[in-house]
Amino acid sequence: MPTVTIDNQEFEFEGNPILLQFCLDHDIELPHFCYHPAMSAPANCRQCLVEIGTPEIDRGTGEPRLDEDGNPVIRFFPKMMTGCSEDISDGMVVKTHRSSELVREAQKDNLEFLLINHPLDCPICDQAGNCPLQIQAYKYGPEGSRFEFRKVSKPKHIELGPRVVLDAERCINCTRCTRFTTEISESHQLTIIERSVWNYPMTPPGVDFDEPYSMNVIDICPVGALTSKDFRFKARVWEMSSTPSITIGNAKGSNCFYWVKDNLVQKVTPRTNMEVNEYWLPDEDRLDYDVFNENRPEGPTIAGQSASWDDAKTAAADLLKNVDANGIVFLGSAFACVEDNYLLGELASALGAAAPSYIQHIEPGAGDGWLITDDKTPNASGCERLGIRPLDATLLRSRIQGGDVKLLYVLQDDPVAAGICEAADLAGVSVILHHTNTTNETLVAANVALPAATVVETVGTFVNQDGHAQRVWPSKAIRGVNRTLSMEIGKSRADKHGTPFDRWFDEDHLVDCQPGWVVIPEIADLLDIELRFKGPRDIMLKVSSENEAFGGATYDAMAEPGVRLVDVGAEV
Amino acid sequence: MTDFIKDPVILMPERHPEPVFSTEELVFTAEETRQIATWVSQYPTADGAIMKVLWMAQEKFGFLPPEVIRLSAGALGMPYARAFGVATFYTQYFKSKKGRYVLDVCTCFSCQICGGYDMLHYLEEKLGAHAGETTDDGLFTIQEVECLGACGSAPMLQITNGPYVMNLTEEKIDALIDALKRDQLPFFSSVTLPQDEDDLGGNRRTDVRDTLTYSAPPVAKTLG
Ligand code: SF4
Ligand code: FES
Ligand code: FES
Repeated sequence: MPTVTIDNQEFEFEGNPILLQFCLDHDIELPHFCYHPAMSAPANCRQCLVEIGTPEIDRGTGEPRLDEDGNPVIRFFPKMMTGCSEDISDGMVVKTHRSSELVREAQKDNLEFLLINHPLDCPICDQAGNCPLQIQAYKYGPEGSRFEFRKVSKPKHIELGPRVVLDAERCINCTRCTRFTTEISESHQLTIIERSVWNYPMTPPGVDFDEPYSMNVIDICPVGALTSKDFRFKARVWEMSSTPSITIGNAKGSNCFYWVKDNLVQKVTPRTNMEVNEYWLPDEDRLDYDVFNENRPEGPTIAGQSASWDDAKTAAADLLKNVDANGIVFLGSAFACVEDNYLLGELASALGAAAPSYIQHIEPGAGDGWLITDDKTPNASGCERLGIRPLDATLLRSRIQGGDVKLLYVLQDDPVAAGICEAADLAGVSVILHHTNTTNETLVAANVALPAATVVETVGTFVNQDGHAQRVWPSKAIRGVNRTLSMEIGKSRADKHGTPFDRWFDEDHLVDCQPGWVVIPEIADLLDIELRFKGPRDIMLKVSSENEAFGGATYDAMAEPGVRLVDVGAEV
Repeated sequence: MTDFIKDPVILMPERHPEPVFSTEELVFTAEETRQIATWVSQYPTADGAIMKVLWMAQEKFGFLPPEVIRLSAGALGMPYARAFGVATFYTQYFKSKKGRYVLDVCTCFSCQICGGYDMLHYLEEKLGAHAGETTDDGLFTIQEVECLGACGSAPMLQITNGPYVMNLTEEKIDALIDALKRDQLPFFSSVTLPQDEDDLGGNRRTDVRDTLTYSAPPVAKTLG
C-alpha cells in the first residue's frame, strides 16, 4: 500500500486523499480557513501551508534515486504548498508546523496579514469562543501586529437577507459563503465584490440573500462576519450547552445541536451526518424552536383545572375503564417518538380497541427534494413501521358527529387544528390529550390533558422518510424527576446541565411535562395492563427484536449517526 | 489612495438602486448576439466570454449599471452575481456614468516612486476634481488606478481604457488637457524601454528618441 510520511511518521493511504483532509482525519491539526470538505478548494487563505517533498526519480531507470544509506532522496518543493490543494502521492514527505520552523513562521506571518484589517472586536462578536480565526490566532498567530496604520472600516450590520447579517470588516475573504451559494445551494445570491482591501461578500444590487438554506453560511464562516439575525447578541457560546439531536420540522430528520441556556432553546445548528443531512440544515429547521420555549403547559389539567400528575393519570384511567372498547379511538402521532406510539398501540390492543392511526401533516409542493420535505412531521415513517396508518379524517369526523366515538385518546397532535372536527363536536366525547403547547386547539375539549415532553426534553427514536432511525437525547431538563432523563442528560451534556450541581442550574423555564413512555405505562398500570419497561432503551430492544421493520434499531446501534432500517416498500 | 490611507472607510453601495435603462433599451441587437455566440464558441464554457460581453455592453451603454451587468450575464446564461463580481473587480469597467474622458492615473509602486502622486494631484488641482470624481462640465473623470504595466515609462496615465500617456510631466498634462478639450486624442504609443537599441539588433520601436526616457528620469518630489 502506498505510504506518506508526515512529520517523520509513516501512514498508509488508499485512493487519492487530499493532504489537509488526510491530516485532519488522522488527528493532525492543520490550521486552515477556506477549505471545506464539501466544496472546491480555492486555496486562498494560505493558512494550511506545509513543506512537501517527493522522491526524486532517476530519469534513466524510472526508479527513485537512493542516497548512500539506501533511502530515497526527497526533493522538496522550493516553496511551501497549501495542504488543501495537494493530493497525497506515494512516498511523499510532509513537514507541518509540528516539525518545521519554516511552516511555523509562515503560519504566524499569514495570521498577521489576516488580522491586519480585522477589527478584533471579539468582545462584542457572536462568534467569539467558537471562532476558527480566534482559536488559530491564539494557537498559531503572532504576539502582536506590526501594522501601524488605521484599519480599513467596512460596512457593518448589513442585513444581507431576512436571516443573515454581514459584518464586512470581520471577513477574511475565504469565499466559503460564496462557494456555498454557487456549489451547494446553487442560489447564486452571493459574490465577492470589488478587489483588494475593498472586497467583501455581497449580493449583487437588487438581490436579497433569502434562499431557504441561507443560514448555513453562518455556520461555515470561519469568522464572525456572518451572523444570525435571530440569534445575534442573545448568548455567548460558553453560556450554552449543546446536545446532539434531530430537527422535527419535517420528515428528513436532519441532525442538529440544540443550544440551551436557562432551560430555553436559543439556537439550532447542523450536526454532520453524511447519511442524512451532510453538513447542512435548512433555515426553517433552525427557526421553529419557539415551540420548545413558549406556550408550554404548566402541569396536567382535569376538565381545564390544574391537577396533580397522579390525579390526572387516575382520571384518564377511569375514563378508559368506563367506555366500551368499540367507542375508543386512539390517535398516534407522527410528532411523537416510536416508543410512545408503540406503547399507545399496545395499550389500545390490551383494551381491545382498534389500532391507533395518525394524522398526516403534508404540504404538497413544500419539499425541495433535498432537506425540506412535503411531510411536516418527523416520524410518519416510524408510525407506519409500527403498523399505525394515516387517519381517514372524513370517517372519523362522521363517526364523531354520529355519536359513535365515546373517547378520543390523542398523542401529541391537534385534531381540531388539523380540521378533523370542531372543538364543539367533541362535547359528548371524552378526550385524553398529550399536548406539548397550550396553543393546541383541542385542549379546550380535553377532559384530561397530560403535558408531553418535546424532542428536546425526551429520549426517543424517530424514523425519517428514508428509513433512517435516529435517537434523541434530552437537551433541557423538565420539572419533576425521572431517572432515565437525568441519566441521559448527564450523558449527553458534559456540563451536567439541569442538576443542581451545575453552575448554570436554573429553576426557571422548567416545563412540567412528561414523556409518553412515562405516562402511558402508568395509566396502563391503573388499568391492570402489564406495560412496564425499564425505560425507552428497553422498549426499543423489544421493538427492534419483534418488528422486522425496526431490525437493528437498538439504542446502542443507533448511537449518534442512527441506523438505516430495511426498506419496507412505499414510504410516506 | 492618500485619502484612503488617512480615512480608510469603505461605504456600503446602494443595495436596490433605481435602474438607469428601461427594459426596452436593455437588449442586445441581432448582430451583437451573433458576436456573443462567436465569443462563446472560443471558450470551454460560456461564462468565459463574460469579460468581452461586459466590454461590448460598456461600449454600447457607456457604463455598466447593475441592469446592464444582469443583461450581460443573462446573454451567457451565467449567474448575475458572478458577473457582478467580475465587473466590480476591474477598474476598467465603469460601474457609474463617467465623463467624456476618463483619466486613469497610475499610483502603483513604480509610478508612485517616479511621481505618480505629484501628477495625480496636479491633475486634480488643474481640473478641480478629486480622484473618483467628474468635472462639472462632464468632460473629465479622474481615477486612481493600480499598475497598468507601463512601469518602464512611469509615471503614466491612460485615457478611457485607450491610449497611454507616458513619462508624465506637468507640461505634458497641460498639453494633454488642452488637446482633449479640442477632442484630440493622442495616438496610441507602446512602451519604450531604456535599453541600448544596438544590443537588441535594432529590434526597437522607432520613437525612442522622442521620449525623455534617457535624459530626464522623472522622480517623485517627495523622494527629492
Ligand atoms: S463572510 Fe465569512 S465565509 Fe464569507 S468570505 Fe468572509 S470570512 Fe469567508
Ligand atoms: S485551507 Fe488551504 S489555503 Fe485555505
Ligand atoms: S506602476 Fe504605474 S504602470 Fe506599473
